[in-house]
Order: sequence, then C-alpha cells, then structure tokens
Amino acid sequence: MSTDLPYTRQEMMAIATGREVRDGELAIFGVGLSMLAGYFAQARHAPNVRSITEGGVFGATPVGGLPWGIECNRISSNAVSFTNAIDALGFLVASGRCDVGVIGAAQVDKFGNVNTTGIWGREIGEHYAPPKTRLTGAGGANDIASGARRFIIMATHEKKRFVEKVEYISSPGYLDGGEARQRYGFIGGGPSAIVTTLGILRPHPRTKEFELTAWFPFSSVEEIRASTGWELKVSKDAAPAPEPSEAELSALRQVDQTGMLRKK
Amino acid sequence: MSSNKLISLKEAVSRFTADGIQYASGAALPVGSDAIAFGRELLRQNRRRLHALFHCNSQQLNLLAAAGAVDRAECGFSGLEVFGFANGLRRAVESGRLVLEDYSNLSMALRYLGGALNWPFVPTTVNVGSDIAWRSAFAPDSHPADGKIPAIADPFTGRQLGALSPLKPDLAAIHVTLSDPEGNAIMIGTEWSRFELSRAAKEVVLLADHIVDSDCVRQFPNLVRIPGVIVGAVVWQPFAAWPQGSPGAYDIDEKHMRLMNEWLASEEGTARYIDEFVNGVDSLDDYLDRIGGEVVDQLQKSSSSFLLDPYRKWIKPREEIESLLAQNVSQGEAR
Repeated sequence: MSTDLPYTRQEMMAIATGREVRDGELAIFGVGLSMLAGYFAQARHAPNVRSITEGGVFGATPVGGLPWGIECNRISSNAVSFTNAIDALGFLVASGRCDVGVIGAAQVDKFGNVNTTGIWGREIGEHYAPPKTRLTGAGGANDIASGARRFIIMATHEKKRFVEKVEYISSPGYLDGGEARQRYGFIGGGPSAIVTTLGILRPHPRTKEFELTAWFPFSSVEEIRASTGWELKVSKDAAPAPEPSEAELSALRQVDQTGMLRKK
Repeated sequence: MSSNKLISLKEAVSRFTADGIQYASGAALPVGSDAIAFGRELLRQNRRRLHALFHCNSQQLNLLAAAGAVDRAECGFSGLEVFGFANGLRRAVESGRLVLEDYSNLSMALRYLGGALNWPFVPTTVNVGSDIAWRSAFAPDSHPADGKIPAIADPFTGRQLGALSPLKPDLAAIHVTLSDPEGNAIMIGTEWSRFELSRAAKEVVLLADHIVDSDCVRQFPNLVRIPGVIVGAVVWQPFAAWPQGSPGAYDIDEKHMRLMNEWLASEEGTARYIDEFVNGVDSLDDYLDRIGGEVVDQLQKSSSSFLLDPYRKWIKPREEIESLLAQNVSQGEAR
C-alpha cells in the first residue's frame, strides 16, 4: 500500500464500519476491531448509540487501553450494570431487539455466511473430521447473526478469505441466497454489509449475493475483484467511499489510544 | 450443624472429582473470572479423560487440553479474545486427541438453563441453519446431525425451531469474587453463565478470591447470586483466576497470558509450563511466589479496584480463614 496515506487500511475499515452504525441504535460489539469501530461511531456521529457487550456489561467505556476481552477490567471500570449471557445475547439480541451487530470473519462467502470455526482446506463431506487449523468457534457471532436486525461483517480482503462457499457456516448470512433464511425463521434480517480492508460489499436485494458497492480511495475495482475468490459482481451504483475526514480520524484515534489500527 | 464449608483446594479436588467426570468450569468469558487454580490442581492429582464443559474456553481448558487431561469438550467460544487462538486446545483438537463439540455463547447458557430447570430440551432460535446444528464432532457420521440440535416445530405456530440438549455437569468449579464460609457468594463483573451453571451442576465448588463475614452477604442479599444452599464446598484461593482477571480484585497478567499460551503451543512447552507453574505448588505462599511478589502488587492496582470497596471491611484476614479451615480438617479426621 502507499505509505503516504494519512491513515491505514485498518483505520479506513474501522471508520467505514462505524459509518454503518446510526445514532440511537441498540448495538452489540465484539472485542478488538469491532469495538473500536463501534466506539468510533459513538465518538463521532452516533453519541446516543446504546452499546452492549455480549458479556452483559452495560454503559461502560474502555479505560487504560483497548480491552483484552469484552469482560475485562478495562471495560468494567465505569459500567452501570453487569448482567449475564442470557440477558445480553438472549433477551436483547436473540429476541430481535438489537438493531445492529458487528462480527468478524476468518472466511466469508458470496452470501455473507461466516466461518470462524476452522480451516479444512477441502469440503468437509459427509463424515465430520477435525479441521487442519482450528479457529475460535462461533462465540456470540452466531447469536448476533441469527437475532440482530442487521449485522455488519468485518474481514481482511484476501482471496483465501473471500470464498465461493465457506467450508463451515459458523454464523449464517443468507445461506444459499434468495429467501433461504426464511426456512429457519430467523428473527434477524441478515448481513447488511461486508466491510473489508479494500471496500464495501452489499447484498443484492433479491438474490442476496454480495456485490461491490464501494471501494476505498487507495483501492480499485480491479484490485478488489482480484482479491475475491468468487466472480464478484459490481453494483451499477458502485462508487468510491469517501476518505476519512479529519474529524473522523481524530475521533477514531481518540478511541484507538494504543494505536492498534496503525500498526500495519 | 456447621455452616463452615471451607476446605483446601487439594481436598476439594480429591473429594469432588474423579477420572472421566463431566466437569464444568469457565462459565466466565475467555480472559475473565474462571476457577483456573482448580484446573491446576486437577493436573497435580492427575485426573484424566475429563469431559469438559466450558461456556467459553479459558486458560484453564487450554492448559487441561494441552496436558491431555480432557477427551471431550463442549464450548461456545474456543479462543482467548485479544490473546488469540488457544494453542493448547487447538493442538489437541487438530491432532484428534480431544473431540470438541461446537455451540454458541447463547446456546451454552441456554443448555445450562435447561439443566437447571430439569427441562428435557430447550427451544432455540439460534444455531439453527448453521453447521453448529448440522455437524456433530461427537457423532461424525451423522450428517446433517440429527442428535445434536434437532429441528422441532413450535406447537402453537408451526414455526421451525431447534432443540438444545440440557447440561447437568457432575461438578462445577465456579470462580467468585467473595464468599462467606457457607458459600453465599458475590460475583463482581459480568456473571456470564455462572448463575445458571450453579443450578445445573450436581455439585458446586466455589473458588473465592476473598472470604467475607456473613454480615457482608446479609448487607447485600440481592447481590448474592449463588446462595450457600446449593454449594458443596468453598475454597479460599486468592488469584484463583490468574493469569486472567477478576474485576475489583486484580487485572489480567498480560505477560503471563502470552507466555502461557506460547508454551502451551508445543508438547515441550506444556511440560515446561506444568513443571514451573503447576507441579509442586502445594501452598498458597508457593502459588503467590510463582506469580511473583511484584506482579501480585501490580495486578491488584486495577482501575476496577474501587468495585471492591463496599465489601472490604468484611474481608476476613488469613489467620481467621486458616482457623476455619483447620476446624474442618479436625472434624474430617474425627469422622
């Protein structure tokens, strides 16, 4: 990447993700990147976002650096309520009350299905066998993908991660497309965007296949198509995403005090 | 009648565990309040073939898996949050030595709820329509798996749902911040699924960072989410969750979190870890020495330590706890 950009690709991804979060929404963020994107949104354009963590930590902002986890002391030092998993992930998310969630992906496919469980390097087939590389499992992401009104997927844009079909669906997107989610009666609406290190993909309204709708200023349609493992369609409305404004960058860097997003 | 349930860690493991039991702990998030010290003692007493139920993996399951003490495990999340993949667990799963059944963070909590209520199953709107429901590591030839999260119909509307199997572990070792000698316990920070687990398990052993006088729990009865009536034993274990954190009591030991996970990534490193931080640790002083005096002081200077302030005046000093422990030892011998 060009070194003279005044921001990193990770920062652009966090800002673009944060832009998806609207003021006043009930929002759930995971640890790391997704939390930074969420707190950025709160600092910049969504001061009344009501953010929760799946641990049931309410009303807290991080103290002393990026939290090590969604339950740790850095996010427990100014909370207004501590509850539990059934409350946060059940009463507030699986119930359908949560407006928006942000989840990460090791692998994502053209219908927005997410794999965070393992890499087999092949189709698993009829007989289940352990993965060659074991990942972290679904955690709360499956619950967010099932119950949140919409969710945003954040992923590093690489061909090996953007695949035609994920090897294992840890968290359901639109399954095999179209109305497939309806077969399972999900309360949540499915993924509204995949925000990557290169641009933004959104689902086609009918087929639910993800298409390129925006590329970041340092990237291009060609680079993104070459970094995607399926024949990526480009939306007729595709356009470059706006550069981070100075106000956005400064809000993000206040949240990302330790510079996690500036390391690469 | 004695309401003093304080016993030593050694005795708790020897009395409440056996090879092959269904053992639940880690009803905390991956880097938070977990009864990790209990897992270290399980290794010292050489318990094997455990069936581990960990709502989320923690350094405890990471260690037990790396040491080969666990054959089967069920988890919602199996990483270590910002500390990355759990290398010990990962190695055991990839080699096939440990079979890991995947759920999600809500479904594990719902399964404890089902166990606690003695329900035959728990209806679920999550995990359906994903490989969590379609794939079973415990039944690898069944695809789509029909015995893990089978589809059921809502009897009122006909809508398709999933059925989760309830969990009733043989033993739950649960970390709490404060407990009185009877086992009335207060958890500071998110309780995650420790409430449901305490009702689902057949036996409950608490590992408490601090022992408080009964007056403390009588002052804050709303905060006592685990009452003594369901608790079999209480172990006083300062830094019970180390190297993980305990809100109000101590921070995460970031350096040791990394070292531990790095060492657990190999057989040799695991042996070295067990040698340096597990084997031969037979007293509280020895345990705290291995953490390191300076580190102990540092970790207690947590930004969250004000959370403990309302309870401090009831925290029992070491001498008093040791004399309560001694009462139970002599009673045990008298029986």
